[in-house]
Order: sequence, then C-alpha cells, then structure tokens
Amino acid sequence: LSNELSDLRVIELSRTAAGAFAGRLCADAGAEVVLVEPKDGHPLRHEGPFLRDERNIETSAAHLHINAGKRSVTLDVERDAENLLALVGRADIFLTDIPARALDPIGLSRRALHERIPSLVITRVTPFGDTGPYRRYEATNITLLALGGQLRITGDPDKSPLSNWGAQAEYQGGLSAFAGTVANVLLRDATGEGQYLDLSILDVVATNLEHRSPALNLGLVANRAGLSVSATYGVYPCADGWVYITAFAPALWERLKAVVSLPELEEKRFSSQASRLEHNDELQAILTAWAATKSSEELHTLALEGYPFTVARTPEALLTSDQWRNRGVPQQVEHRAAGSVTVLARPWLDRERWQLRPAPALGEANEEVLDVVVEVAR
Amino acid sequence: MDWRTGNLPLTGMRVVDWSVYWAGPYLGMMLHDLGAEVIKVESPSNFDPMRAVIDVNRYAGKNERPMTPQERANTNQHFNEWNRGKLSFVVELTDPRGRDLLLKLAEKSDIFIENRRPAAKEKLRIGYEDLTAVRPEIIYLSLSGFGQTRPERDAMALGAPVELASGLFTLNGYLDDMTPAKTGFSYGDPVAATAALGALLLAVRRQRKTGVGSFIDLSMRDALSFGAGAAFTDWSMNRSDPSHRGNRHPTFAPQGVYRCHDDDQWTAISVRSDEEWRALCGLVGREDWRADAGLSNVEARRERHDEIDAGIEAWTLQRNQREAEALLQEAGVPAGAALDFRQIWHDPQLNARGAWQEVEHPAFGVEVRSTSQWSRGPQAQPIDMPAPCFGEHNEHVLREILRLDQDEVRALVEAGVVTDQIRIAGE
Repeated sequence: LSNELSDLRVIELSRTAAGAFAGRLCADAGAEVVLVEPKDGHPLRHEGPFLRDERNIETSAAHLHINAGKRSVTLDVERDAENLLALVGRADIFLTDIPARALDPIGLSRRALHERIPSLVITRVTPFGDTGPYRRYEATNITLLALGGQLRITGDPDKSPLSNWGAQAEYQGGLSAFAGTVANVLLRDATGEGQYLDLSILDVVATNLEHRSPALNLGLVANRAGLSVSATYGVYPCADGWVYITAFAPALWERLKAVVSLPELEEKRFSSQASRLEHNDELQAILTAWAATKSSEELHTLALEGYPFTVARTPEALLTSDQWRNRGVPQQVEHRAAGSVTVLARPWLDRERWQLRPAPALGEANEEVLDVVVEVAR
Repeated sequence: MDWRTGNLPLTGMRVVDWSVYWAGPYLGMMLHDLGAEVIKVESPSNFDPMRAVIDVNRYAGKNERPMTPQERANTNQHFNEWNRGKLSFVVELTDPRGRDLLLKLAEKSDIFIENRRPAAKEKLRIGYEDLTAVRPEIIYLSLSGFGQTRPERDAMALGAPVELASGLFTLNGYLDDMTPAKTGFSYGDPVAATAALGALLLAVRRQRKTGVGSFIDLSMRDALSFGAGAAFTDWSMNRSDPSHRGNRHPTFAPQGVYRCHDDDQWTAISVRSDEEWRALCGLVGREDWRADAGLSNVEARRERHDEIDAGIEAWTLQRNQREAEALLQEAGVPAGAALDFRQIWHDPQLNARGAWQEVEHPAFGVEVRSTSQWSRGPQAQPIDMPAPCFGEHNEHVLREILRLDQDEVRALVEAGVVTDQIRIAGE
C-alpha cells in the first residue's frame, strides 16, 4: 500500500464541483479515478478562467485544478448505462453527484448497482439527498448557500447577500463526501460488504453554520455584518491592503496594545472587554488611523512574531511565499494543452508529497479503459 | 454506513481531543459520529475558551444574576454545539502527574487531535514524538492556521481571519467593487475540520493495513485555498487575479440574489440552460424576453445581465422569498430563499432529513442540536449524548480507562491534578 487508496479504483460520474472535489481527493490518495464525462466535456471544462482567456475545454483552470490526477472517458450515460455499469463492475467506488431521480430510471439505482456489484462503495453527494420534500428541487451552488443559511449572513448589511467566490457549497459537500467515502471504505475493508452514502449538500451547508446554536437556543440571531464584527475582531484597510485584527480576548488585547503603543488605548474607556464594546466606534477610529499607516509587509512580519494580525494575501503572494514552498503546496504539472501550470496539493502534509498528475484530456482513456472494459463485458 | 447495526467505521477506536474553539472540536465530534469514543481533554485554567465567550443568562433571560464561570463553562451554546457526544476529562497538564495521565491515556488511544500553538506544545512537552514514545502507532493530527512548518507556524489564526490569508478574501466581492468581502462566519473552521476528517480516515486505513501511525499537519488556510484552487491555477497561467464576480456565475446566466417583498428577504436564482431561461421568461411574464433572439443564449444574456436582473427583481419584489422560490421551482428553475437561522430550523427539507434534534443538557436544559451529517434521512442517527460538563467524566476516565483504584483517584483529586472546577484568573 504505497498510498492510502492506491489499491482502489473509483468511477466518478460528476456534473458539479461537489463530486469532482471528492474525486480529486481520492486521486490524491492514490486511487485510480476515472472521470466519466459527457461528449462535450465536464461542466468544469467550460467554466474557465482559460489560458490567455481563450475558450478551450482543455485549459479551464477549474478543470485543471479539480480534475487533476484523474483519467477521462466520454460516455453518454443516458443512452449507454450498460457500458457505465461495465466500468463500475471493475471498480471499488462509485462516486456521483447526480440525484437518484436521474439515475434510477437508467438502471443506475443503488439497488441495481449493488445487485451487480455487492461490494461496491457508493457515494451520492446531491443537493438535497434521496429523501424529503425538496428531492425534486433544482439547485445550484448559490441556491444551496441560500437555503443552507450561509448566503444571508455574507455581505454588507446595506446590500444584498453575497455569495463567496467559487463553488463553496459544493466544495463543502465534496469534502464531506470524500470523508464519508473513506469511512465507508473502512467498513468495506472490515466486512467485505458494499456501502451506500446518501449525502445532501444542503445538510452539510446548514450543519457547517456557525452561530446557529446561539440563534436557536438563545435567540441571538446574527445578520450579515460586512467586514467587521467589532473593533477588536474585524477587517481594517492598511496602507496597501487589508488586515484582520483579532484582539477580543484579554491576552490578545494586551498584545495589540503593546505593538500599537498609543497612549489612548490605556484610557479607562478601553480598560475592559465590556467597555471596549461600549466605546466600539471610538476604538475603531483609532485603530483605523493606525492601520492606515502600516504596510501589509510590516503587518505580516508582526503576525509572524505572534501579534494578532492576519494580512490579506493574493493568490500571487501565496504562490510565491516561503511557507507554501516549504509545504509543497503549489505543484507544477506539465499539461499537454496548458503547458506548465500550478495546481494546489491537498491541504495537509503527512508523509512525502508525491507528484500530482495533470488533469486529463477529454476522453484520453477511452481506448485504454473504456474499450477494454466493454470488450471484456461482452 | 448504518448506525442501526451499531457498526460504524470507527467503532472501537478511542480519540483524545486536545483541541479548542471550533475546527478541532468539530473534527472530534465528527469522529464521534463515525463511532469513535472521544475524550475531550482540558485543564482547569487552560480550558477550551469557547466555554467562556458568552454569559448565557444575559440572553436566555433565565435569571437576573450573572453566571459563575463554572455555570458559563457548562452552558455555552457554541461549546455545546460542537462537543456533543464527548467525554470530558480535566487534568492539570503543567503538573507532571497530570501530564503522565495524558500520556497513559494516549497509550490506550488510536488518534490524538490538537490545535494548540507550537510554543504551548513544546512547553508542556506534548507533541508527536512525546506520544509515539508511549504509543508508536498513534495517529496525531495538528490542525493550525498555517501549518507546523516555518516561517509561518507561530502566527495565530482563527477561522474567520484566516480567510484573509487564504486568497479567498481577495476573490470575494460585489461586482464592479474593488473592496474584498469575507464569508459571514468563521468559514475556515468547518472546511478545515472536514478536510482533517478525510485526512484522519486515510491514516486510519494506513494504520489498519500496515500498523504504521501518522503525523498529519493540516493547515486551515491551505484548506480554504484548495477550495478556491482554480484562481491559483489561473494566476499561474495568466498572471492575473480574477475580478469580483458578485453573485454571478461563469457559465450560468442570469444568476443573482434578488430582493423580495418583505424587508431583507431575498431569493437566489440560477439559470443553467436555454430551457430554464424560457421557463423563467414565462413565469415572470416576459414573453418579449423569450421572443428576443438577442437573449436566446448564455453569452447574450451575460451581455445584458443588468437589464435582466432589473426585470427579475420587478417580479420578485411582488412576492415573499419562499413564494418566489416555490413558483420558480415549479417552473423548473433553480431557486432558493436566503434563509435565516430560524427559517433553517423550521425548513421542511432539513427536518425531513432529521437535521435537528432536541436534547436535554444537564446544565442548560433543552437544546437544539445538529445530528450526524452522514446518517440523515427518514431514520437519522439519534444524538446519544449532549456535550459534557466540565470534568464530568474524570472518574470514568481514571477508573474505567486508566484502571486506577479509588485511593489513587482520591489522591489526584485532593492534589488538584484532576478537577471539575474551572479556574479563571482574576475571577
């Protein structure tokens, strides 16, 4: 066992980032992941951003990142479920983000799959899961953020709720789907029996919601607050960027005072947590003026010394940082269409990093994987 | 995975959870949901700060007097949410006898999780090497803002601020607005907790197959960046940072969050295809749009997105958010009301899935808790235990797990090495 899942084959039938992120993490753990794409390519191939802004299904950044390390076959699932079943027949894990209502009628129900392959680990990560009144609802990333409560609390209070960047509901679903898949692999290892996971992205988004418990049990209902929770817990503009100040706890406040070193901060109105909240706006004005004189670089240096600052970094700053170089986070891969591109490694270190493989060309494994399997099945 | 058979993936495994705030505790709770016995370890004066952040009485209107620190520690609604199902063991780790108890506990455990700062771990001599000395095959997970590597390992980061450090903050923002935006909660925490769960389960598989343990170094920042990885690949190809997208989508148009009739009510709408576009036109009574060849494909709609947004909002403004959502769904258009906490609690879908359950907590009373996210549906996994009170399971840990006799336990309690009383400096 060279990597955790290197003895396993995954068939990934995904149409969103939810299944695709889960598949990417399986590939990073050494599994052979075969991505089953429609003839015109996985939706992430159409999403971009593209190399030189030129539309090309091989150079979409979303695809290059999330589908890295996978094989690709093209297959019209609705018309060719039999070939998909043949593929799944040689696999250990079937991972999909397509709801039951679309898969059941074409012979890819949980029951049909387990009848054919009793030891299969099936993960279905769908917007609402198999049950409940919304199981026929249509959904996208942003409607799931909305229904799960994360959308309403994000953004400025005097503007509309704001979606965060990317496909964050689907990413959360994908992370949970990956963990649930590995959990079911552990059960299969122990029992030899197939497993089924019915994971709802809405469930994950609503569960991953902070402040829900104080709201429901104490009536403390928070709404969106923009960049600042309070003077001692919020974002400030600095000379050339943005910094988060975290000084709500007494020890952190002392650290902040030590580095800001302004006599006003020693005044009685700021002497306790309660009084700092009472004089929140005055404190905010003082810290705003102070932060405006500091550069991101200065504040970052202070943060490394343990002062309570977190500086905003761009993708560029991170990709060129010592920390990421030392952790091996940015991985260079040679991609046939996109050239040498950076793909981020999975977000933890255990043993040695191993070389990521690039995202596949559309249908590159049709001959090697699909034709062989189909031939054998016949 | 079926909780009814009692056969969960981690049944029979023991976890020591020496973590604080949200990400680590949430991870520990998910390990419990998957079947592990999880022991939350705290110290009398170095407890999980989440226990102390709010005085419940100030909000619950239970009585007039402020709570004692002890009462606060056992009623906090953040703490109780993310620590349910665990056993609480409170031991003074600065005392050599206390540290020895922790090592003895590690010896009988399979997984150790923590999110302490490097200096604190070094001072107490509680790190991977210290634990492998007594339990070589242990799986040890450090969860931190930036990782255990230099130069950034000593920088502090909670789950909200770390979003700035991840790149995600600079990507978020309203359309045509240079100001970045932050997700409205400590988004780094649940993302890191779930990524860490995946990492741990992989390590469990390795341990079961090969007998070898692991040291896992998980960075909360890296977990956020990974979810926005396309922006990093984009930079490597094009040397450009993407501009703010607001609520729009690269391939769906129109997409937005539209104001509804009642105050601060909104519905998110996405149109993924020309078919959904035609359905939307019919619903909102814009036959002119449907007939307009200049809007028949997504590129064209993106060009005139502002105009379309205004037309959609004219329709949503006449309806409340749930009504708009239902009508759109009936027409086959993806839509979802931007629900608040109470609406989520009452949401028929989440309730049909068994997402929430009321449990009786000995210090707080009846609380609404979320259930295991891996066993939802008509037969959702019931919650077996609320969050523990401070030191509630000291005796159980000492007697049943560490197999100390009554005299040894009494001596430890009398010496204050093990206690169920919280100590707050200056209070």
